[in-house]
Amino acid sequence: MIITGKHLPRRTFLRGVGAAIALPMLDAMRPAFAAGTAAGPVRLAFTYIPNGATMKEWTPTAFGKDYALTRILKPLEPFRNDFNILTGLAHKNANALGDGGGDHARAGACFLTGVHPKKTDGADISVGISTDQIVAQALSGKTRFASLELGCEDTRTVGNCDTGYSCAYTNSISWRSESTPLPPETNPRMVFERLFGAEDLSLDPETRARRQASRRSILDMARGQTERIMGKLGPADQRKIDEYLTAVREIEKRIESAENQQKQVNPGMEKPAGVPMEFSEYLKLMFDLQVVAFQTDMTRVATLMVGREGSVRTYPEIGVPDPHHPTSHHRNLAEQIEKITKINVFHAGLFAYFLGKLKATKDGDGTLLDNSMIVYGSAIADGNRHTHEDLPILVAGRGGGKLQPGRHIQYATETPVTNLYLSLLDHMGVQPEKIGDSTGKLSYLAEL
Amino acid sequence: MVNRLTKLLRFTPVVPLVWVLGQVISSGQTAPAKPPSDTAFQKEVRPFLTNTCFGCHNAKVRSAGIDLQAFTTAESIAKDAGTWELAVRKMRSGEMPPPPLPRPKAEDLATVTDWIEQEFERADRLAGPNPGRVTARRLNRAEYNNTIRDLLGVDFRPADDFPQDDSGYGFDTIGDVLSLPPVLLEKYLTAAETAVRTALFGPAAIKPTMIRYQPHLRRPPPPPSLTDYDFTGLSLPSALSTKHRFPADAEYVFKIQLNGQRPGGSEPLKVAAWIDAEQVKTFEVDGADLEGMTVEFKSKVTAGDHLVSVSFLKQFHGLPTRFGGPEPSKRPEPARRFPGGGGAPPAAAGAKPPADPAKPPVEAAKLPIEPAKPAVAPAKPAGGNRQVSLAGRVNALDIGGPFEPVLAPSQVSRKKILVCGHLEPGAHVEGCDRKILSAMARRAYRRAITRAEVDELVAIAAKARQRGENYEESVAVALQGILISPHFLFRIERASAPTSTANNALIPISNFELASRLSYFLWSSTPDDELLHVAERGTLKQPAVLRAQLRRMLADDKARALVENFGGQWLQIRALESVKPDWEKFEQFDDYLRESMRRETELFLQDLIRNDRSVTDLLDAKYTYLNERLARFYDIKGVEGQGFRKVDLTGTPRGGLLTHASVLTVSSYATRTSPVLRGKWILENILNAPPPPAPPDVPALEDATVGTTATLREQMEKHRSNAVCASCHSRMDPLGFALENFDAIGAWRDKDGKFPIDSSGKLPDGRSFKNLDELKVILRADKEELATAVTEKLMIFGLGRGMERYDRRTIKEIVKRSSSTDYKFSSILYEIVRSMPFQMRKGEKSRT
Repeated sequence: MIITGKHLPRRTFLRGVGAAIALPMLDAMRPAFAAGTAAGPVRLAFTYIPNGATMKEWTPTAFGKDYALTRILKPLEPFRNDFNILTGLAHKNANALGDGGGDHARAGACFLTGVHPKKTDGADISVGISTDQIVAQALSGKTRFASLELGCEDTRTVGNCDTGYSCAYTNSISWRSESTPLPPETNPRMVFERLFGAEDLSLDPETRARRQASRRSILDMARGQTERIMGKLGPADQRKIDEYLTAVREIEKRIESAENQQKQVNPGMEKPAGVPMEFSEYLKLMFDLQVVAFQTDMTRVATLMVGREGSVRTYPEIGVPDPHHPTSHHRNLAEQIEKITKINVFHAGLFAYFLGKLKATKDGDGTLLDNSMIVYGSAIADGNRHTHEDLPILVAGRGGGKLQPGRHIQYATETPVTNLYLSLLDHMGVQPEKIGDSTGKLSYLAEL
Repeated sequence: MVNRLTKLLRFTPVVPLVWVLGQVISSGQTAPAKPPSDTAFQKEVRPFLTNTCFGCHNAKVRSAGIDLQAFTTAESIAKDAGTWELAVRKMRSGEMPPPPLPRPKAEDLATVTDWIEQEFERADRLAGPNPGRVTARRLNRAEYNNTIRDLLGVDFRPADDFPQDDSGYGFDTIGDVLSLPPVLLEKYLTAAETAVRTALFGPAAIKPTMIRYQPHLRRPPPPPSLTDYDFTGLSLPSALSTKHRFPADAEYVFKIQLNGQRPGGSEPLKVAAWIDAEQVKTFEVDGADLEGMTVEFKSKVTAGDHLVSVSFLKQFHGLPTRFGGPEPSKRPEPARRFPGGGGAPPAAAGAKPPADPAKPPVEAAKLPIEPAKPAVAPAKPAGGNRQVSLAGRVNALDIGGPFEPVLAPSQVSRKKILVCGHLEPGAHVEGCDRKILSAMARRAYRRAITRAEVDELVAIAAKARQRGENYEESVAVALQGILISPHFLFRIERASAPTSTANNALIPISNFELASRLSYFLWSSTPDDELLHVAERGTLKQPAVLRAQLRRMLADDKARALVENFGGQWLQIRALESVKPDWEKFEQFDDYLRESMRRETELFLQDLIRNDRSVTDLLDAKYTYLNERLARFYDIKGVEGQGFRKVDLTGTPRGGLLTHASVLTVSSYATRTSPVLRGKWILENILNAPPPPAPPDVPALEDATVGTTATLREQMEKHRSNAVCASCHSRMDPLGFALENFDAIGAWRDKDGKFPIDSSGKLPDGRSFKNLDELKVILRADKEELATAVTEKLMIFGLGRGMERYDRRTIKEIVKRSSSTDYKFSSILYEIVRSMPFQMRKGEKSRT
């Protein structure tokens, strides 16, 4: 995309609006963390798919190691020894529990929090802190970015998102606190610039240092101003200004750690130009960015929303020109169910690309996939009836040896998904007492 | 246009501001209030509740945490309006009592819910006035872009790269919902740096890049007629239009790649390139096969979004005579041999033999359009529908740049910032920094600033100089500090209030705060110098001054923001950006059409505001704004070119918002129309009667098999036999069916599939209509509802909070008062900005 002089090389032309080209990983890439350590750190990622799945095409019939992959999971065949399918898990707090309609908003908000979100269109939004953020806050300072929130659907929405629920609940699955959602970055270029700096490297080091010092001085002033007005504010304003203050402190910390980390990180990929036109290219690029962020140890925690809950994305490229959400209300019509299944298969195929990429990337003595724990799934099982039990959930990777993948495991009905999260966090060395509705750790993840 | 507005504002009798405020306050103190009817409660309501609700909602079970049994007196009901509003809503929607419990008799249920609502109203009359609380509002993306533009005179839309803003109550201006994650502050830091540096030192050099645009359709369909088509070619699918963001004032290179064939012996073709509505370049290309042909040109373009189009001028002119097109070619047609057809013309695989050149041209003109049976071996299997290619098509457009960009700072920007008057670097004198920084802080914080605040900024600049920055660089650092300050990024209204304010006290907001409310309401931007000046003098709240400011602000070009941001969200046309109608079914839909749809509605709303028309025009105005593309789409003759103009719609089925393709598209699914969605759209946005959410476990009524098995209408009528569904769908569906003559992208149709359209209907209140025109008459009769809807949405957008029970009186009052002008837009706006909620806030104890 970058052209020198007036010569415009045809081969690097972009297709479509801000489309990007495929980005091979460079061999020159090296993990940025402690070279020489045998085992890389454990990484945690969540990939969320909206509107549920055709469960009879998801859930294998047999259990244990020798199960046959179903139609939806078939694209994951090359990695069947790298993930566990977990059947029986539930998000009971995504149910109405007296709040009426709005299952999509609740599912999205509940997926990583395990908390029943407060039904409100705006004032006093409240759910819980999300699992990824519990880890992010615990590991804060270990990596340049505590966490990464990505999405493949522009969150610009209009009107109400889901019956009486603020759009905040469907726009983000990551929640920094019970009232502060972390909106996903949907532009690959922005993700790249955030990770590897949009800074003008053509400037001389002294100028860059002076600018950095300036940034620190104005952040310092902003913090002072904020602390002075805090006391004069009512509770609602205080909450808002507190978000600001927290952000100021976090960035101050980051600037400091960037200064300590003198070396320039080589991302090993070209800067994406923008959002690719083809959805598959888009999602792959987002997966690439996650891989690079993990590989360079910019962060160890990431979430990716393939779509917002209630997504109306159409998939004409796979023969589903119909909007996803209305189609998911399939009324048990075979034709409609088939379309949903096609979308599920399509997403799984792209997720397989992610796993392949992780597996092909060396990390410590093993691969990045070995050192990762990737949860893939939805907080809705059947999109037609909005069920929140027997959810489609799988967890890939070995968690640095803590997980024993390759199996289909059946759990007691309505085992909270948050029990899984509690176990995964334990493998990251983070032991919260509880996550949302968790009742204890999930067994059988490690044993055969 | 402005004159009419001016007149209205001048001749409306001036009523002191206190009227609205005073009315509400006095009604609270003096309105006679009857005591609640305890007899009715004990005799009718409580027994009903005992039978229906207390089984679960009692002190022991407390289903959903609610104990209704605890409410033992009539008075206690209204004291917990939250609980009982929910109860009424759930009983009415049929959610409660939940199946399988028996449904209470409809009339009993009505008696009880009506009684409860009366209680609310009685309590409302008793309650004191309540202006509500507005949580500190962070600038949203549109506001940030506009504010930076107006403060610094640089317009590069930095916030387009910010994370999306969350919305609530249908708008992205809600303080409670606008959060500030760390990633956003990072962006604020970068944006502040770029904005200040661009303004003071000029834009940074940008590396040239090249972006390619391609049409969705590989092979566009032929035109409907060779004699009546868009001579500019812009409306034809062979053209390509795209919005492109030009990052700088600079030169750009445009490469146009062509494809397609043209019958041998045709005259050369003219390719035209357009930027916005202006034709900037034409090329002549000659030859039967255009594949691989490329033309290119360079042009200087200003920074920002521009619509770039490439088309073929008069592309069906100059064809060989036998095609019957206009101005036939004077060139001889080459004799060629075709497989299986001897000397047949280049009818491509699939066209039927050509008409005799002697035949009348009109008939011949129809020839290439009919999908014909293959006369020779088809290139594609049956149904492939290949047609004669009569002209080229644009295969791709590459836009590369910026080259030789303007890198000098704009003098406008420097003047805005360097108020000391020393525009040449190095000319500054002692004390300049103080002047510059205090002026900018006042404008950026939108209020008078304290000495301490200026001292701090001056100190920041001084420290930067100590680090080795030069004078202007050091001022730039402090300016960046202003732009990341919470006083700039947030509109905090109570920071200056006394800390011991009692809860619920009525506190007038300051003149400066009012100025900000006004400017972010009408302009989505910061107050300008005049508004700040008036606020500083303390006269903004005087009715005559307020009215004059409102008039001035609406006449300003910046008021376009009200159309884009309020209109775009209220009417949901912002969603146009992301709709993806099924390509197979709606091949006409491309980005040019999408853009044209959006413009129509924006210009229509702008006309309504500028010319101060009644909001009822929204329903049935017999005019709109069209360009050729949209006019052809609407089948309206006589509109040529890319530019939009006002068009009379008399004699067409169009008129009013409900027939705008934008509205019809955003209220449809990608593959088909949905009377339910459209009915809901009308109820929410026009009639101010949003339907309650569908009860849980009852999937929303689906209408997927439209036009295939039974008519949609029949299916839905069956669905409505369920009483719970019927309660809402009998309101929604008829409204939506009235629009069935418009397909899912708003094109006119007489049939859906094989079924003729029936757009008649009957509303639950008994009024019936034969078609959309008759429905519009009914809606116009309900104009008070429309005015209420507009008022309520404007209040949510302007105040940045949802509407509550206590706002109802104000809304009612505004609607009543604006009825004297037949709900002219400016009178609604004026009543809003002088109302109590807009000028006051409720006190709140701080947590010191």
